[in-house]
Amino acid sequence: MLNNVHKSFGDVRAVNNLSVRVPKGSIYGFLGPNGAGKTTTLRMIMNIIRPDTGRIEIFGDSLVEQAKARIGYMPEERGLYRKMTVAKVLAYFGALKGLAGNELSHCVSRWLQRVELTNWAHKKVEELSRGMHQKLQFAVTTINEPELLILDEPFAGLDPINTDLLKSIMIEMRDEGKTVIFSTHVMHEAEKVCDSILLINKGQAILDDKLAHIQSQRTSHIVSVELEGNTGFIERLPMVTAVESDGHHLEISLTDSADTQELLKSLVNRVRVKRFEVKVPSLHEIFVDLVGKGNEEDS
Amino acid sequence: MKKILRVAQREYMETVKTKTFILGILMVPFIIGGIIFFTSRMSRGKTGPQLPIKVAVTDLSNELDDEIKASFNKYNQENPNRQIRIQNLEAQEDSDTVQKQGRDKLRQSQVDAYVVLDRDILEGPGKIRLYTYKPKASNIDIFWTIENLFRRAVVNQRYKMQNLSQELLAKLQHVPIEQVEMGSADDQDRVQSKTDRALRMMVPFFFMYLIFLGIVGTGQHMISNVIEEKSSRVIEVLLSAVSPFQLMAGKILGLGGIGLTVVGLWAVAAYITARWQGLNIDVTTELVLYFVIYYILGFLLITSLLTAVGSICNTIKETQGMMMPIMMVFIIPLLAWFKVVRDPNGLMSRVFSFLPPLTPMVMILRLSSGSDIWKVEIFASIILLAVAVLVAMWAAAKVFRTGILMYGKRLSFREVCRCIRQS
Repeated sequence: MLNNVHKSFGDVRAVNNLSVRVPKGSIYGFLGPNGAGKTTTLRMIMNIIRPDTGRIEIFGDSLVEQAKARIGYMPEERGLYRKMTVAKVLAYFGALKGLAGNELSHCVSRWLQRVELTNWAHKKVEELSRGMHQKLQFAVTTINEPELLILDEPFAGLDPINTDLLKSIMIEMRDEGKTVIFSTHVMHEAEKVCDSILLINKGQAILDDKLAHIQSQRTSHIVSVELEGNTGFIERLPMVTAVESDGHHLEISLTDSADTQELLKSLVNRVRVKRFEVKVPSLHEIFVDLVGKGNEEDS
Repeated sequence: MKKILRVAQREYMETVKTKTFILGILMVPFIIGGIIFFTSRMSRGKTGPQLPIKVAVTDLSNELDDEIKASFNKYNQENPNRQIRIQNLEAQEDSDTVQKQGRDKLRQSQVDAYVVLDRDILEGPGKIRLYTYKPKASNIDIFWTIENLFRRAVVNQRYKMQNLSQELLAKLQHVPIEQVEMGSADDQDRVQSKTDRALRMMVPFFFMYLIFLGIVGTGQHMISNVIEEKSSRVIEVLLSAVSPFQLMAGKILGLGGIGLTVVGLWAVAAYITARWQGLNIDVTTELVLYFVIYYILGFLLITSLLTAVGSICNTIKETQGMMMPIMMVFIIPLLAWFKVVRDPNGLMSRVFSFLPPLTPMVMILRLSSGSDIWKVEIFASIILLAVAVLVAMWAAAKVFRTGILMYGKRLSFREVCRCIRQS
């Protein structure tokens, strides 16, 4: 969808030669530290700002303006007309996205219900609490049942309950075959919902893959076990490089070529295994690892 | 196009509903009516009693005493609220000493004015000399009256010396004048007073002022509207549904509609009032048509400029500095209107007609002052104005696009130029 996109602001290269293809029907996370170029990229997708060079295609077409009725975009900077009522704000944005008549009023009431704001429909926006405001903002984004949902830092400022509500709607939409792109710098949020991620730093992609694939590739060589019996022999196994012991709980580091299945076999033969877990690296660790490395090279 | 209309509709409805807007619409005619009402009251001179004015007089001719007394007594009877007290400083033998006395009195503020009538005032080239010392602004107009009263006294004395009857002379000089405005049928004649004539002079001004208020007033609305959307951060949400150009066009259209509504209401109200006051203003459909054309074009010009200004600022405060030069341009016709009405085809009028921001106001002034203007000139001015509108909108759209997403820092003039050139 994005092809060799550049965008500079003065001397600052906000996005540098970025190429991305977001698969249909998935949840795609744009991850990166502050100032990595996430918002700029999303704005370019929405044609709010134009790339200096490169092409952006949505639904296989470069005319973004025509596709806007099929997209829902929630910017990082949020706001709604404070003097209008909740229902009217929803209806207005619905109409701007091409809904009309019965369909419009149907969508308005459906989404009010879905974000639990039906009782507030005729209150003015300025009377809403912050959390309700956020939910209304989300409803505004999705009022037209978009095929592509673009959310810039959607969880910022939400409490855990509303965060879960948002996530469940995102997953629901993915299951309906829609595409969700969202940006965040909070890794564990991405970990829970993303199918694929793109890791950006300084306007460049450093990682772009399916989440499952990333994690399987980066299996760490640490196994966490709980054993009963004498564990002294483990240190002497050829595939083991180090053991950290805490009573029955052990963290075993293996050589690069070691197979965890072999380790399990040799353990089962000698002691009773209560728990055996190959540690999957968290996205957070990958993030810190990659971004940290990138920044070190610079300095 | 549908989106532009939808944006326009919202702008229109949401603005019309606000209390400030409704108050604003109602207030303006009330204020204007109030000003007219009170100024006419004031000029009738209904003021409370004021301190009497003291005037010292030295009559070197020694023959005017009676006439002076008579003329001031008559005045004092007619104006009980503003009396003038005369005190005589008789010139015994030495006129210089007396005059010095009189001047000292004035300097010590014992009197408000000192008048010396020359010895040969009745037959020779002598003068009435009125001395004042640091006169108060509130007394300036009474000095006028005093001068006239002395002149009256001198003239009356001259009549007497020539044995002329005052009554006869007054009778001979009296010629009543009646100005009649003819209607289209013979029984529709209307007698016109002096105020009617003055009001007639005001009609072109009224038309111009209507354009001024409409353009500037809605321009202000536009700027605060953009700032509000920017500060409430709603703008980027809007941009996810519409393009910046659609948003800008919708806003201009919606506020243009508001402007037309307001100006239309005021014009109708003014027309009804004028009719009710017996003032027959002939407004041709041609003039109304030109008015609408010039209004719309002028409105588009200023609002596109102001949208651009609004988009690069973050607070109303910031906009004010940039509004000043724009507003100054619109003040020019307000200052120059009298000259334009007196000489609608003069050089100044013509030059102003072809300076786009001034065109609407000046052209309406010229057209409504009833002179024949070359049709080619009218069309040329409209075309020039339309071109200016297109250029302004084009530039404004570019600035708008960049400006609305800039938070924090206001764009400098150089940066604005750059983003016009670039995109």
